[in-house]
Amino acid sequence: MRFDVVIIGGGLAGTRAATELQKSGLKCILVAEGLSLNNCPKNEFKAAGGTVLQGDRVVSGVFEGNRLIRVFTEKLGNEPLEAGQFVLATGKYFSRGLVADMDKVYEPVFNLDIEYDSDRLTWFDPSFAAPQRFLEFGVKTSGGVALKGGVPIVNLFPAGEVLSGVSSAQGDATEQILNSAREAVRAIRRN
Amino acid sequence: MQENNISTGNFEQCQKCSLCETVCPVMANNPDYGGPKRSGPDGQRYRLKNGIFYDDSLKYCLNCKRCEVACPSGVRIADLIQQARIEFSQKSPKLRDVMLASTDQMGPLASAVAPIVNFSLGLAPVKGLLDFTIGLDHRRTLPKYSSETFVHWFNKNAASRQDSYKKHISYFHGCYANYNYPQLAKDFVAVMNAFGYGVHLIEGERCCGVAKIANGMIPAATRDAKANMSAFSKSLVKGRDIITVSTTCTMTLLEEYPELLKVDNSGIKEHISLVEPFLYKAIESGELKPVWKEGWKARAAYHCPCHQERLGLGIFTTELLKMIPGLELTELESNCCGIAGTYGFKKENFKVSQMIGKKLFDDIASAAPEFVACECETCKWQIEMSTGVPVKNPVSILAEALDLEKTSELNCR
Repeated sequence: MRFDVVIIGGGLAGTRAATELQKSGLKCILVAEGLSLNNCPKNEFKAAGGTVLQGDRVVSGVFEGNRLIRVFTEKLGNEPLEAGQFVLATGKYFSRGLVADMDKVYEPVFNLDIEYDSDRLTWFDPSFAAPQRFLEFGVKTSGGVALKGGVPIVNLFPAGEVLSGVSSAQGDATEQILNSAREAVRAIRRN
Repeated sequence: MQENNISTGNFEQCQKCSLCETVCPVMANNPDYGGPKRSGPDGQRYRLKNGIFYDDSLKYCLNCKRCEVACPSGVRIADLIQQARIEFSQKSPKLRDVMLASTDQMGPLASAVAPIVNFSLGLAPVKGLLDFTIGLDHRRTLPKYSSETFVHWFNKNAASRQDSYKKHISYFHGCYANYNYPQLAKDFVAVMNAFGYGVHLIEGERCCGVAKIANGMIPAATRDAKANMSAFSKSLVKGRDIITVSTTCTMTLLEEYPELLKVDNSGIKEHISLVEPFLYKAIESGELKPVWKEGWKARAAYHCPCHQERLGLGIFTTELLKMIPGLELTELESNCCGIAGTYGFKKENFKVSQMIGKKLFDDIASAAPEFVACECETCKWQIEMSTGVPVKNPVSILAEALDLEKTSELNCR
């Protein structure tokens, strides 16, 4: 299936980006797992003519040079979703946008470059209420696009909590998440 | 060593987040039901130790599988619940349950005397009697039977010309299209023929068995499953993929056979496809070329059946319908209609069934479409009875919107 933009993840950032992109005339599909996609923003996106792939998960992607060209999902099997631009808004650990092993943190779909500290003992503060460093970890960007093996993927725009430095545990998180979504939208419109 | 150290249905992945409970339509309406988390992965821990922990309230589960769609950890919650019912329920199915579930035994009987059956099942005293004697709710509009089955019609009117096509498919019609609503199957044949496919019946096709699973008739369902798998193998030998129209039959063939009935469908599963993904992919790749009727116009609202969403295939239907130039399509918010096959026919479930569907009925009323587009036959009964708005299968919408003659000219060369 071919679209202008595939938005991966249906939380705050994903739905915001999807709705704005769809409204600017691009044909969008939102791949949203579980309840991370709430009904209200989902309906706004649908009303704008967008397509929602509910309860599914992107499992892998195919790159051509420094571009992502198609992704595969669990339920669609070998039927790919192809697009010119991609938004990655898969969140942090709970939604499996990031996975933490004993010795590393990684991004499980595309294996993008992650900002984190290799010394596990520095990840957390034993005091529960203290700011936790692991919540700051996330995908590295350069000029708004994701990096893979140090190379910028020119059409893959991370947004929301999957980003390094963006965390809902912080006071101004909602604004930060929405701003990152709007930045991705602006960049895609320019592209 | 622990004997049962196997995470059936992935239940050890449950992190107790309760997302499943927020989407469970039964939990919101029936306080007697413990909800998917408790009935599924939580209960499983106890049941593994001892079957006495089995709770009879698991029968309230609709098996709509919305919990599985919501689960962020891939736990097969509804499967765990159905599996537990199969393994531990001591109750044997009542006469009513057997009658409701045996769609392929009741079908031929009822079709043979369809006018009498349809007439008498519409009478208030008869419905009152059925309610009183066997517990079939009297407020429910009962499905009509067709006096001519689809198979009979097909053999008489369509079978002979099917070999003349270049491409061929096998058609799993299911019980509903055969006994209750042959028009759907006729529409399917018309559409597939127009696209240049010969349609063939599957010799020895049986009921998929879903209603039997839901009503605890596991040995009978397993017999159906095995018979279908061997019938399907024969169809595949001829190089014909199996195309289905019913969402729930398809989910049963693809997922419930191996998961619940332990009937292996590997090697066959890959060749079973619902008609909407099949047509969408072929049209998008340019292999099939539809010609739409000039000036055809309609306004529809799409209701995605729970099982279609579970299979992840609703997207093919919406994208296929969006290809029709004259169709103005709104998508309804994803909600269960409440009938869940035979569930809503039962006296003890009728009230909850209508409560579950209320949100959807209200949404349909405010969208005020000419008709609702929906792949599922039992959703159709429920929505038509509860809202008065007609429900059309996407295949029937295609049959209306396509210029069948011109499509045929373009695709049959």
